[in-house]
Amino acid sequence: MEDPHTQQSSHAQQSSRAKQDSRAQQDSRTERHSHAQQQTRELPSWLAAEQDYEPQTDRSSFVQKSALSIAAVLRQLRLDDGTSARFSPSAPLKLVLLVLALVANSLSRNLMVTLILLACVLVRALFLNRSALARVVAVSLGAAGLAFIISLPAILLGQSTSAVRLGVKALVSTGLAMEVALTTPASQLTGALRSFKVPNLVIMTIDLTLRNIVLLGERALETLIALNLRSVGKDSDKRSSIGGVGGTLFIRASVSAQDTYDAMVCRGFDGTYDPTSRTTFRRIDLLWVGSTILLALLFLHLEGILFA
Amino acid sequence: MHIPENYLSPSTCAVFDVVMLPIWARAIKKVQQSVPREKMPLLGIAAAFCFLSMMFNIPLPGGTTGHAVCGTLIAILFGPEAACLAVSIALIIQAVFFGDGGILAIGANCFNMGFVLPLVGFGIYRFICKRIDGRKGELIGAAVGSYLGLNAAALLAALQFGIQPALFHDATGAALYCPYPLSVSIPAMMLGHLTIAGLAEVIFTVGILAFLRSAVPSFGIEGSSEKAQTAPAFALLAALIVACPLGLIATGDAWGEWGLEDLAQMVGYEPAGLASGWEWSAFMPDYSVGALPEWVGYIVSAIIGTALLVIIFRLAAGAMKPTVDFDTPAH
Repeated sequence: MEDPHTQQSSHAQQSSRAKQDSRAQQDSRTERHSHAQQQTRELPSWLAAEQDYEPQTDRSSFVQKSALSIAAVLRQLRLDDGTSARFSPSAPLKLVLLVLALVANSLSRNLMVTLILLACVLVRALFLNRSALARVVAVSLGAAGLAFIISLPAILLGQSTSAVRLGVKALVSTGLAMEVALTTPASQLTGALRSFKVPNLVIMTIDLTLRNIVLLGERALETLIALNLRSVGKDSDKRSSIGGVGGTLFIRASVSAQDTYDAMVCRGFDGTYDPTSRTTFRRIDLLWVGSTILLALLFLHLEGILFA
Repeated sequence: MHIPENYLSPSTCAVFDVVMLPIWARAIKKVQQSVPREKMPLLGIAAAFCFLSMMFNIPLPGGTTGHAVCGTLIAILFGPEAACLAVSIALIIQAVFFGDGGILAIGANCFNMGFVLPLVGFGIYRFICKRIDGRKGELIGAAVGSYLGLNAAALLAALQFGIQPALFHDATGAALYCPYPLSVSIPAMMLGHLTIAGLAEVIFTVGILAFLRSAVPSFGIEGSSEKAQTAPAFALLAALIVACPLGLIATGDAWGEWGLEDLAQMVGYEPAGLASGWEWSAFMPDYSVGALPEWVGYIVSAIIGTALLVIIFRLAAGAMKPTVDFDTPAH
């Protein structure tokens, strides 16, 4: 057993040592602190050096233009997937009527049919939403202007009316096609194609293409933005990145296509489209068919084929 | 009242074309400030009313025809600047597509029917509205304003016709353009417009205004800027389109709108400037569509003109910057 006195003295020694230690620690802390303060006051030379780095200007028009055009296409595709209105005919009938109207417009030798169709196009355009209306007008006027410019030599030869007539015909045809495209959901269009006995493979290709354009477009946009962010200064090796973007997209496209197909198979898709489940005829179709027959009779009469 | 091609000398046309340029510029600027973006399609519908009312030809005393314009109506609903633009665009569509009114004379026609008519009509409407309160004052103001506005425009057209023989004639004194002097043109124009055509303008303006105030109260610049229920207005447009072949009942031409052969028969010679002048071959001349029966052509023309006007104003609304009022609290 130890003597209690010696125990007490050893305690006292220990406590004095501990005090000394803590003082020493405090001293070392204050030393370090002051040292650190000294360090912050003196910036390292490499950090203090004035930077005058200006990246060399580089023409990145390829990346920017590609990104902008992809974004524009995406915006248009997302704009409206096509919404049919209350008085729209069902999708298959709509396609048939479109083809008939385009043929009648192209074949007619007088302006009457074209003008009646123009009235139809304009009335439908009245009820489109603003962005869709702007697209229909822009595309149709573009087509009409092109047709007019192509037939400008006719004006020089003294046939000014035919140039105007061709322009109006182009306007009507393009307007009709645009309105059908903008007022029909993509799924209904592919369903309508099936009811015209279009092969399954063709429909599936169109269907998957329509769906994948948006997805791949988004990825292309991401890749281009990434490329743009990383290429600071002059990038002499830009051409190789074009291949990189394309290659990455191709790999992603094939992976995505395989994934989509697998998902469809998992959900019971056996490669055939069922036309009946997708297309439902509406009551309003009868009205459309009736008025089309009337217009067709009028067309034949005006062309001198019927009741001439 | 549509002055045809070559009835005014090219220099007279040029003067009015140049005069209209700053007026249009100011009107566009003012409309951008005063008409909210949401209201622009309604302005298109109002312009369509104007277009259709000009298709209703009414037989006038003296064997000529006349028509209403409805410029005062648009001025009451949307302000005189908006009326100027709406009537001008309707007149341009009529001239380019339907050959109604000359291309070179667009400036003169727009000055008469697009500028003077709504301005005079709106000024008198405001004057009366301040003195007679309520719906009664509005309708009386619209009636008197539209009547005097139309007659002011007709008087101007008569003056433009009448000064031509005094200013432009050859060595023998034969007129080069419009052959009738002021002593003939003013009585001839004013007789019809002070009586039947003025009355037609009053009926159209007051009738449409009363209908819109009761069926679509927010139609116009003063209503709430929430989306207006346009179905009744479209229904009225459709009714006017179906009824517009009634305008074919009035046979004969409007005063000052004859063909060259008819004019030569009446005055005994072909005015040289009129015979050799440039003429635009319109798409659907006189609102006819080829071999279609006249009334079908008239309806197809009315549909095309109406739709074009509404589409133009909808596109203009799309091009305008959205106006957000930060002062009014959110609902």
